[in-house]
Amino acid sequence: MVKIIELEKRIESFQLDIKSLLFQEKKIHGLIGSNGSGKSTLIKLITGLMRPDQGTIDLGSLRSKDITFTTQRPYMLHDTVYHNLIYPLKIRNQIPAKEVIGKWLDLCGLTGKEEQFAPSLSSGERQKLSFARALIFKPKLVFIDETMANMDPESIRTFERIITDIQTEDPITWVIVSHQPTHIYNLCQEVHMMEAGKLLFSGTPKETGYFIKERHEKQWSY
Amino acid sequence: MTLNRETMDIIWLTMRLGLVSTFLSALIGIPLGLLLESRDFYGKRVILRINRTLMGFPPVVVGLIVYLLFMRRGPFGELSLLFSFPAMVIAQLFIITPIVSGMVCTAAKNVASEIRTFAISMNASRSQTFFLLIKEMKHDIYFTMAASFGRSISEVGAVMIVGGNIQYKTRTMTTAISLMRNKGDYSEAITLGVVLLLLSFCIQTLMDTLKRYENNGENY
Repeated sequence: MVKIIELEKRIESFQLDIKSLLFQEKKIHGLIGSNGSGKSTLIKLITGLMRPDQGTIDLGSLRSKDITFTTQRPYMLHDTVYHNLIYPLKIRNQIPAKEVIGKWLDLCGLTGKEEQFAPSLSSGERQKLSFARALIFKPKLVFIDETMANMDPESIRTFERIITDIQTEDPITWVIVSHQPTHIYNLCQEVHMMEAGKLLFSGTPKETGYFIKERHEKQWSY
Repeated sequence: MTLNRETMDIIWLTMRLGLVSTFLSALIGIPLGLLLESRDFYGKRVILRINRTLMGFPPVVVGLIVYLLFMRRGPFGELSLLFSFPAMVIAQLFIITPIVSGMVCTAAKNVASEIRTFAISMNASRSQTFFLLIKEMKHDIYFTMAASFGRSISEVGAVMIVGGNIQYKTRTMTTAISLMRNKGDYSEAITLGVVLLLLSFCIQTLMDTLKRYENNGENY
């Protein structure tokens, strides 16, 4: 379980201030909020890309090497699709099993493109490859930062199927970041909503839906 | 001019000096350039400004400084390095290293942050991240090395002062050209100049071929 307590980070005029936030183990969490609400900053703090000004991030039993993340614009190594896919295994001195590589290439619709230069892939294919690359070494906590934002519905369904399959076989913890809640409601078990650097609400997708609706009605009743 | 023993010796020494200086400058300059790009520390701007100033530092002044450091009564006089190949390499290190670190730092500003974020997402160690940066920035590094080698073999002021232009020992193509001009032997000087130009062209062609080979590899 990842526990965040009294976390503060100031970046120019933006202030992230989270009193308490819990990411329960082996669950799929959604992190929603409008652009600039602090979602990406929070992820950067948890993954170690940034240092907090104050507060604690308790990773529990997780080690930093169990955590990974994907970004909206994934970096592709100047190498083949195959070498991009096996990179996390290579740096862990693991020999990539043919069946595993084949399975991931198939899941991402990249079979037959193993020898293609990865930066020449389409943006959708890059997203899929980055997703497979993040999961191939079996991490225990995965952050998906707006990865599905520019995807076609078919690809989103593929992603959802992969996530669901992993949760059935060997569940891990997911944090899916999106500024469009509808993208993640049917996948998440818990949703955390952020606004202006603060955590506004945490609950089930249904509860979050009610909260947003109520808030919306209140705003328009004035 | 015929390719006699002396000429061959001069060409060989020039090439050796260029390769050794470029290699050693790369060993120091590449990590330094990446460090300057990645770390924020007090006085970083001043250090970057000093580095940029050193990129255009007059070689003859560098030669003079190295000469003063290694002269018999200088702080490193006991090493007796003056008028030797190592002294010429040291002088060239002062000239080329700021060029390597400056160019690598500038190139890294465009891509290194993205590569580092990726490396962190993959939980790569520090050394794995460093070698990944080198691999992903190989085209910029090729260009930097080519420019540094060119600077090294065309340099005359510093190697003349610290090397002394000694026949069969520290005479490079540029110092030999300078000597021939002093002697009024213009045809010999021009011929050696043309050989220098051709050598430089061959090295650049070799680097280009290597780069193209890598690019072809990338097209798969």
